[in-house]
Amino acid sequence: MFEALFKYSRADYARSELVFSGDWPVWMPYVLAIAAIIGITTLLYYRRGNARWYQLAAIGSLQLGMVALVVWVLLQPTLATDRLREGENTIALVLDSSASMSYGAPESRFQNALQSLSGALQDDAPNLSVRHYELGTTARSVESFVASAPTAEGTSVATSLTGILEEARFSPLPAVVLSSDGADTSGGISSDEMAEIAAFGVPVHTIGVGREVIPEDIELADVTIPDKALPGSTVSARVTVLHDAPASTNVKVYDGDELLQLIPLELASEAGTTTAWIDVELAEAGPHQLNFSVDAVSGESEFRNNTRSTLVNVANQEYRILYFEGEPRWEYKFMRRAVGGDEDISLATLLRVSPNKFYRQGIANPEQLQDGFPASRDELFAYDALIIGSVEAASLSGEQQEIIRDFVSERGGSLLMLAGPNGLGNGGWGQSLIADVLPARLPPTSIDSFHRKKAGVSLTSQGVSNQMLRFDSDTDLNNQAWRELPEIADYQLTGNLKPAAVTLLNAETDVGQIPLLIGQPFGNGNAYILATGGTWRWQMSLPVEDQKHETFWRQLLRALVATAPENVSLVADGGSDSGTIALRAEFRDDAFRPVDDIGVTTIASHENGESFSVLMQPGDEPGVFSGEIEPTISGTWFFEAVAERNGEPVAVSRSSILHDSGQSEFYGFRKNPGLLQRLSEATGGRYFETDDLSALPDLLRYSSSGITETEYRSVWDAPIVFLLLLMLKAGEWLLRRRWSSI
Amino acid sequence: MPRKARKAYIPLAVILSLAMAAAFGQAPAEAPVVKRPVREAPGEFQFVRLAYSANSYGRGGWGRRDQMWRTDWPDAEHHFSRGVDRLTRIEVAESGRILTPLDDEIYDYPWIYAVEVGYWYLNDQEAGRIRDYLLRGGFLMVDDFHGTWEWAAFVESMERVFPDRPIVDIPEGDEAFHVHYDLDHKIQIPSRMFTYSGVTWEKDGYTPHWRGIYDDDGRLMVAINFNMDIGDAWEHADWPDYPENMTALAYRFGINYLIYAMTH
Repeated sequence: MFEALFKYSRADYARSELVFSGDWPVWMPYVLAIAAIIGITTLLYYRRGNARWYQLAAIGSLQLGMVALVVWVLLQPTLATDRLREGENTIALVLDSSASMSYGAPESRFQNALQSLSGALQDDAPNLSVRHYELGTTARSVESFVASAPTAEGTSVATSLTGILEEARFSPLPAVVLSSDGADTSGGISSDEMAEIAAFGVPVHTIGVGREVIPEDIELADVTIPDKALPGSTVSARVTVLHDAPASTNVKVYDGDELLQLIPLELASEAGTTTAWIDVELAEAGPHQLNFSVDAVSGESEFRNNTRSTLVNVANQEYRILYFEGEPRWEYKFMRRAVGGDEDISLATLLRVSPNKFYRQGIANPEQLQDGFPASRDELFAYDALIIGSVEAASLSGEQQEIIRDFVSERGGSLLMLAGPNGLGNGGWGQSLIADVLPARLPPTSIDSFHRKKAGVSLTSQGVSNQMLRFDSDTDLNNQAWRELPEIADYQLTGNLKPAAVTLLNAETDVGQIPLLIGQPFGNGNAYILATGGTWRWQMSLPVEDQKHETFWRQLLRALVATAPENVSLVADGGSDSGTIALRAEFRDDAFRPVDDIGVTTIASHENGESFSVLMQPGDEPGVFSGEIEPTISGTWFFEAVAERNGEPVAVSRSSILHDSGQSEFYGFRKNPGLLQRLSEATGGRYFETDDLSALPDLLRYSSSGITETEYRSVWDAPIVFLLLLMLKAGEWLLRRRWSSI
Repeated sequence: MPRKARKAYIPLAVILSLAMAAAFGQAPAEAPVVKRPVREAPGEFQFVRLAYSANSYGRGGWGRRDQMWRTDWPDAEHHFSRGVDRLTRIEVAESGRILTPLDDEIYDYPWIYAVEVGYWYLNDQEAGRIRDYLLRGGFLMVDDFHGTWEWAAFVESMERVFPDRPIVDIPEGDEAFHVHYDLDHKIQIPSRMFTYSGVTWEKDGYTPHWRGIYDDDGRLMVAINFNMDIGDAWEHADWPDYPENMTALAYRFGINYLIYAMTH
């Protein structure tokens, strides 16, 4: 209807500018308008007869309207429209050829995308040439699209588009059409990448293929587990399952081929994620390839996203902990007994038995700690964690306190402060040089914050999921175990917590609930407060065979040392989602000062025996050397960084990583229209679903990018003009007959 | 002595016997109950005395000896506790406590003292409780028993506690003798009677023995001070006639056992 009256479509008017192509001077329409007003007014005045004023006004308005319309026609109104110049522009058609596009039946996403791009250009489209690109981790130019299975092992929309736009920087590219599921395996499009793409000024039209909701598929979306552990320790893995419908499944954990754990898991919600914690015991030293899997649900066809593998390096080394205690007490005795059987923990203790006498236990040689608490960085930094019991801050010098602060912040060691009559606030630690390190603002010494009163212990919400507080892998049973623990013998008020502090345990006291185990990161390390010296009651009050007291202390001390870095370290990063493995080696001396006067070479060895060496380059930070390899095969890679000085090896660090290329396409493969919509909006393009592509051809034809020309089309002869003229004249005639007075 | 004169002493002996019986016969033999109200623990270390049932020797014979566990009470713990407070960094409660083997509170005190254990009797339930207490980490110091018969009486109950664990002499190099004081020169610590008689032994216990029972990890659980009377040395520390060197040594033994118990 619109087009019948106005000659052209609404879209034509929307993308066009109305101009006048008549040769009249600019002032002519105004003169004609004024002359018409004066003439018509004068004529009506002298021929007014008995007509009333409103009758004259109505007749005059109709006559003026007709004159105005005639003048408008004489000005020759025309639509000016920019359109691509025939034969001089090239459209980029981009087809997502990543492996996730193979999903779907009976027609795969890839087939849908292929069809959508085929219909992008209609037969009557201007003479546009077309370039074809296949999209994966990068874009690949092809002669034409081939209806074969997509095989790209990753998807990076940003990298691919940037490549296409860079290639067309100096050629007319009016638009890009991308047909994809939006399942980007590179982590999506960052704001910087989006801005870079938008800066090319080329609209990117996107076509989304696939389904956002796939009820018949579950996906093992994530497995989070520490990458290193101590032999015989239990590590806790957080398993996240993605699902679109309620279902029941089993989560299994294999160490190689050996089944370690199997737990049933109910996926209860309609859509979303379900998380479970699974404890895995790793007995032997060495790299452990842990394979996690969830059982397929009914109707599931994509099984590759039901598994994930990760590598945990179980270090065969002894961790050293120093425990400085100011008075003989039961906590000291029972803690030592609890961790005594842990061969991976070496607990050296320095106990002030009397004002003038220290008693040492767990020392490796007679010289260790013979002069009391360490007075040098070298001596203290040899430990991985430090425990300070019921002892006054004043018993250590300012230099020693500074070394403790550096021990946490620079060396990355862990500090655990225990409660006691002379500990925490009572000991003046709140006013000491390590007050900043602690997770709480301790009360002043003027307040006796230590109370020999029994108190219950409860897990906080953060404590529930913390591995070091696990007595049972089942969360409910673990909570029950904590509820049933005997009371602790005493507690100490810690004062206000600092912003970064996390409370893991609470004490249920006669004055209410107070923080019992709190921690916070500080610099490279961590600091904890255990606000009691009375966990020994667990050991004395529970049956002999009960191991909760031992478990608590072993897991707590292992958690202390687990985060402490070694003075030489090698980190390999870049598992399944990256084509490269980045290597970062850090070398420090015994006092953890960076070592730079060395050369570092890393030997990379694949599990099949293939090996080569990489020369590491000094990084921006002192003592840090970095390198990179591009692994050609999946599997476990072992790395050995050797530091040499004057041709002699001075330090060695080892690491390993599980590299599994090509697997990422099967995870997170649900259609992601959000990414495609944001891309189109940012570039001035438009997002389409495959079932409604009708507007796409016109968008391409009239794109403002590329080489364009202006098309002029007259609209003075539109039917609406003649219809209006007829209506105005007919209206005047009817009014004159009715009123018969003019 | 003339016969008449000897007869005159008979009433006196009867009166003295009755008086002693009255002094030591306050509680039923089978259930020694010495309870105090439950209260907040006043210190890290509180001297706890084990109140045990008497064996047949203690219940019979001349005079009642069914509360021999009270021997030296309360001066022994009073003096010793102050000694610990003065000579170590241990936070010590002022007064002691008395607990029976079946008191649940016994688990709140990982160091306990038993005296005159030649007169003790632990039934199966009590022996099981003491065994459990020791294996969880508790420490028992026994003292002031002498001679062949009292040793046999002690062992009879101790074997109910640990049927399979041997009682052995504590080696000279054991940390129990070195943890705070180096106790290389050990002498027999006598009772107060030494000040009258000059004799350091009692009954046929001529030779002192420092014996013990160890757990599976080689830690001393029971310190057995046989043929000596450390408790008397603590009790009479303020008595001018009691030898100062004996008291000092008794303090050192006690402190070493205590610090050992708090460190091993």
